[in-house]
Amino acid sequence: MSRSVLVVGEPRPTGLVPASREAVAAARLAAEGGAVAGVLLGGSPEAVTEFSRGGVTGLWVGSDASYAERRIDRWVPAILAAAKSTESEVIVLASTGFGRELAGALAVAWDAAAATSVTELTPTDEGLFVAMPVLGGRATSKLRLAGPRAVVAIRPNAFGAPAMSGEAAPVESLSAAPPTPTLAGRRVGFEANAASQGPDLSSASIVVAGGRGLRAPENFHLVEELAEALGAAVGASRAVTDAGWKPGTYQVGQTGRSVSPQLYIAVGISGAIQHLVGMMSSRVIVAINSDPGAPIFKIADYGVVGDLFLLLPALTAEVRKARASG
Amino acid sequence: MEIVVCVKPVPDAETKLRPAPDGRTLDLEGAKFVLAGYDESAVEQALLLKDAVPGSTVRVVSFGPPGRTEEVLRAALALGCDTATLVESPPLAHSADVRSVARALAAAVKKLPHDLVLVGKQSGDSEAGMLPTALAQALGHPGFNGAVELKFDPTQKLFTFGRASEAGLERWECPGPVVLGLQQAGNDPRTAKLQNILKSRRATLDKVSLAELPTLDVAGATAEAFQLPPPRTGAKWIEYKTPEEAATKLVRLLKEEAKVFP
Ligand SMILES: Cc1cc2nc3c(=O)[nH]c(=O)nc-3n(C[C@H](O)[C@H](O)[C@H](O)COP(=O)(O)OP(=O)(O)OC[C@H]3O[C@@H](n4cnc5c(N)ncnc54)[C@H](O)[C@@H]3O)c2cc1C
Repeated sequence: MSRSVLVVGEPRPTGLVPASREAVAAARLAAEGGAVAGVLLGGSPEAVTEFSRGGVTGLWVGSDASYAERRIDRWVPAILAAAKSTESEVIVLASTGFGRELAGALAVAWDAAAATSVTELTPTDEGLFVAMPVLGGRATSKLRLAGPRAVVAIRPNAFGAPAMSGEAAPVESLSAAPPTPTLAGRRVGFEANAASQGPDLSSASIVVAGGRGLRAPENFHLVEELAEALGAAVGASRAVTDAGWKPGTYQVGQTGRSVSPQLYIAVGISGAIQHLVGMMSSRVIVAINSDPGAPIFKIADYGVVGDLFLLLPALTAEVRKARASG
Repeated sequence: MEIVVCVKPVPDAETKLRPAPDGRTLDLEGAKFVLAGYDESAVEQALLLKDAVPGSTVRVVSFGPPGRTEEVLRAALALGCDTATLVESPPLAHSADVRSVARALAAAVKKLPHDLVLVGKQSGDSEAGMLPTALAQALGHPGFNGAVELKFDPTQKLFTFGRASEAGLERWECPGPVVLGLQQAGNDPRTAKLQNILKSRRATLDKVSLAELPTLDVAGATAEAFQLPPPRTGAKWIEYKTPEEAATKLVRLLKEEAKVFP
């Protein structure tokens, strides 16, 4: 049975966050042939182009400046207005920090069953079945979202984005959300992350992470060069962030970020459980470590035992060569 | 300042990972339930604010089956919370419905004075991260998740906090009442003194009964299966004589076997 589905696009300065494009693929599964509309609040012209060519059947754009503050009490009324106009039964978002904030608020405001970090989605007559990692990626839970409405936030890298189409879907402007009384609180400042050039750690499809095995901050460029050659994001163990070699935003693990890329390369990281819970659900794991008994090798798919100071330059050169020759 | 902290009982780290006999959830037979992770940080943050602003009160609230819920409420009392409220739940066996939890907690929080409602950023078991904003929506307050460096400015009566985004750290200020999901407290969580643990055992808990709650659709989202990943078989070792040989072999495997080479 087909149904209408609405995808909430999350803008970033250069367009859409990649997981929003992947959300369109998940929405198509849920729609079973029904319409898949998009809603974009406060995005750049690049985001409108990317979204309207990204596999949706129509796009609603709200352009009020207040959307830039990314707060639920601004976004939820606008999303609900779009859901109503499109008669949607399912709302799909990217399971980013803000996507999860929206999912929680929408569950109550729209009276819907909701799930985040979703990696699989199957529509049935008894409801939407979804799967997500739980307990630090050590197990998978499958839920049934029953009832007439569902909100699903999908985990980055779990669904491939649909191909861009040459033709843009029709774009309509979403009239400003119903006037809200002056909302309490305001954003008073912003500290940009230290210029990390590469992709965002949480949603990157490849992550190269370095640990204490690098010995000193001035050696960390070895990890960064491999990451650059692969187009990967850079991560670190807590030993590295605690020592101040890299800011806390690089930390992967229980008290840092959870990542689940297609490929995770751990360099000079021993594999303490607090690190593993943040990266264990990666699809393919490569470990480079001089100690064959390091716990990281127990969960790695490919292990290279040896000195990272010799291995990394060789690997970076080989990756550059392989990518240059296609 | 009036602070309410909402916490969830979660199975402790020793709990053996295996599916329950019906295969739908983690097997909780014999599990010990604790105050842990982000919830522990939320309690710590509430107590730090109380220390900083004399005359403040910290009230802890939890929703769930009586036995385990009482455990975590008493743990929070032992740490220094002033009162504890147990919100009675209908049988939740397979429920995974965040709406119900938010509505039940909101019904209890509404009865308590509150300038600030603190919640952990996500629970230690399901890790969904939806409750803070679901609760804000149910209460009709502003709500934000992932707050760090939370402080209170008593002269302006404003809460100030950081909120991480993909691009950096946003700085916010907000008057109460506000709901915040906490990413990190300013301190490592304190431990309870033995004498306070003993006292918390005898403390009376306030109760909100099922009859006082709105109708809850606990079957709106249900757990159907709990699965452990197939055990990883251990690494495939790359044998090599020179670093260059290791690099060539690894790149070939990533390309041809794992198919993850960009
Ligand atoms: C409550 C709590 C929360 C925590 N949260 C996190 C978290 O979120 N993330 C996190 O990462 N950690 C976390 N930790 C810390 C964790 O327990 C480990 O201490 C940390 O992950 C170790 O970092 P490491 O692997 O870089 O360092 P080490 O354990 O010191 O490992 C260094 C590795 O480098 C290898 N090595 C050394 N020289 C070379 C060389 N020349 N070539 C190749 N390999 C080499 C060594 O064999 C070793 O395996 C937490 C701890 C606690 C108690």
